[in-house]
Amino acid sequence: MSKAGKRVLIVDDDADMRLSLKLALEMAGYAIEVAADGREALAIQKQRPADILITDIFMPESDGFEVIDAVRRAFPQTRIIVVSGGARLAKREYLLDAALMDVDAVLPKPFDVETLLRTLDTIQNR
Amino acid sequence: MKLRSYLMLFALATLLPIAVFAVVVGALLIESQRDTFRSAAEERTLAVLNTVEIDLKSSISTVEALAVSPALDAPELSGFRSIAASVLSTQPDWRTINLALPTGQQVMNLTRAAGDPLPFIPSEDSSVARVVQTRKPAVGDMVLGPTTKRWDFAVRVPIIRDGVIKYILSAVVDPSAVQQLLAAQQLPADWIGLVLDRNDRIVARSGAAEHVIGELASPALRGILASARSGWFSAATITSAPVYTPYRRSDTTGWTFAIGIPAHAVEQGETRAQGVLIIGLLTALALALTLAVVVGERISTPISSLAGAAKAIGQGQSPTLPSDIRVNEVHTLALALHEAERAIRERQGLMEREKEALQTADRSKDEFLAMLSHELRTPLAALTTAAHVLRVAGNDVEKAAQARGVVERQTRHMARLVEDLLDVSRVSIGKAKLQRETFDFGEVVENLIGSWHASKRFERHHISHAIAPVWIHADRTRVEQIVSNLLDNALKFTPAGRRIDVTLRHTAGEAVLQVTDEGEGLAAPAMERIFDLFAQGEQGLDQHKRGMGIGLALVKRLSEMHGGAVSASSKGPGEGATFTVRLPAIVHPPRQVERPASAQPAPARRILIIEDNDDTREMLRAALTLDGHEVVEGHDGAAGLAAAATAEPDIVLIDIGLPDIDGYEVARRLRARPSNGRVPLVALSGYGQAADLKRAFEAGFDSHLTKPVAVEELHNVIMALK
Repeated sequence: MSKAGKRVLIVDDDADMRLSLKLALEMAGYAIEVAADGREALAIQKQRPADILITDIFMPESDGFEVIDAVRRAFPQTRIIVVSGGARLAKREYLLDAALMDVDAVLPKPFDVETLLRTLDTIQNR
Repeated sequence: MKLRSYLMLFALATLLPIAVFAVVVGALLIESQRDTFRSAAEERTLAVLNTVEIDLKSSISTVEALAVSPALDAPELSGFRSIAASVLSTQPDWRTINLALPTGQQVMNLTRAAGDPLPFIPSEDSSVARVVQTRKPAVGDMVLGPTTKRWDFAVRVPIIRDGVIKYILSAVVDPSAVQQLLAAQQLPADWIGLVLDRNDRIVARSGAAEHVIGELASPALRGILASARSGWFSAATITSAPVYTPYRRSDTTGWTFAIGIPAHAVEQGETRAQGVLIIGLLTALALALTLAVVVGERISTPISSLAGAAKAIGQGQSPTLPSDIRVNEVHTLALALHEAERAIRERQGLMEREKEALQTADRSKDEFLAMLSHELRTPLAALTTAAHVLRVAGNDVEKAAQARGVVERQTRHMARLVEDLLDVSRVSIGKAKLQRETFDFGEVVENLIGSWHASKRFERHHISHAIAPVWIHADRTRVEQIVSNLLDNALKFTPAGRRIDVTLRHTAGEAVLQVTDEGEGLAAPAMERIFDLFAQGEQGLDQHKRGMGIGLALVKRLSEMHGGAVSASSKGPGEGATFTVRLPAIVHPPRQVERPASAQPAPARRILIIEDNDDTREMLRAALTLDGHEVVEGHDGAAGLAAAATAEPDIVLIDIGLPDIDGYEVARRLRARPSNGRVPLVALSGYGQAADLKRAFEAGFDSHLTKPVAVEELHNVIMALK
């Protein structure tokens, strides 16, 4: 399996999260784009569609659900991974479950990068 | 038992000794009254007897005067007879005068013509014998006169010639003379005075009593007279009615005077005294019992209704309290009950409010925990990812440097998060202590804005500020916390590209700091709760932007601890918000503030680190080695103690939470050793509260570092331990 040239768009409002994930995935051979919120992410995606979208859920401006929704409709070939710190309130977990039915993987924060890399491999091979 | 019964008992118990006392005193009074009456009566008896005797003696004197008549020495008695007759005519009470031989044979009697045969003086009259025996005058007994044919008595005088009793001269006296004498004594009408002769025959009796003259006195009276010459006896039988009788018999004449006093006269006073006493006691008793009933009613009636009211209060109903209460204590009770009822109502209201507040707090806490989880997971995710990058970076120096940057920033971020959490809990439970100093608030604000600019935290916003110098007496670190939390809050809520305005001015003795943003603003209900800890809930998915709701709560409490206040205002959602902090300002002559000495390299020491956490131990070792110190390590208490014995360190750093022996015990054992007894000891713990410090110093530590340990702080502590 080749991951060279595979484009990954990372959407997270936390700059260090973006940076560290970018570094880790670059070293694994992926080409990385980053966005700080949903609006920015959609703008980038329209210009340079990514193969894989890694997105947080809770973000300012437009949140992860909007991004997922838009990407699912406009770019059905794009794989989606959700990474989220989540929140334990029952109401939100329910929302999360409902929204995530259509994504390729969910990783709770904090996650092991090795797990993320394995997940990336897996979803590309589907 | 009813209150009324108690009061009655009380009244009776009070009256009983009074009644006993009254009866005793009454009895004594009656006794004394009776004694007084008796002695008065006895004196009266004696007085009357004396009067009678004086009268008798006066008769004797008259007879004695006649007895010295020379006519008695004449051979014929005719001369004497005429003298005697003339004397008799002067004595209306005398019935006759007679002259008798010592044998009792009369030789002359004025009731008989001279030469008539004369009788003997009756033998039952012992006076003739007494005169002969004593050769002195004597008063005779009552006899039925042989010549007068009536009851009378004689007064006899001896006529002694040449030492021999020649005659006995007698004057025969009408007892009515004594009767008149008695009448003159004016005894009370119902009293009976009685004069008796030596033979207890009645000589005279007060009141019209001719028929008893010459009779013998009653056997009972005579019995008493035989036993004592004077006295007092009751229930005498002179008449049928019960009488008291004082009596006295004369020593000289042998006559007796007795008074019969009707019992009712004696007992009248007694009966009256007893009556008064009984009426008095009964009145007192009736009064006491009536009062007991009235007072009992006045207390028990309102108490009954108060009891009803109390029951009503207990059942949560509105009680009706009696209005007409005349006993002050019961009135007080009613007021207290009223007060209690109000307090219960208040407390119920309070409890309901508290319950609501608790439920709200509980919900907020759940939200808070959810947010806390999120806030901790985010930096942890960045950290684990950066750790991965560092592990696989190999020779890629640039990537490794970037990853280290992430690690540094995120650890700082997490440390601050933990600090904030600890701070807010410390401030909440009132454990935080302010270390006040005098400084320029403006300088603090400017420095902070400067450093945030430098760290590019403002790069997405436009910051303007107008800062005036305002001196305050406060805890500099806490004031910095206030400012940074307000700035942090403004950054969180203000979209990129908008303005944030910071002003500080001195107004009316207060330092007024205002942070105005162009953020999403606040709705009125949110404004009330925005400073409450854990209270930023129910805001949908945007909630994560609120952070954990710690910052503003901390700002509020720190401001209040400084005697200041914080407020928020907003024109509404989307209109931005202004947060205002007011702290008491002081007029201060600016003083030269001592600059901290710049860091100097510490002289090399041998330092033992006793710490079970490998990362912490490693970090400390790296930092200390970098400073040029020699480092020895122990991974638990036992290993540390062993290392201390062999290495003889200059300084020992000891973690408090060691797995085998806790840090306090390690310190105590080291202090007990001769070799390590004086080595400086530094405690390492996750807690920096006063109690922890105190406990550490008591265990023998010289200094204390709170984890995570800042390298600069470690350097300063090592420098300070010389």
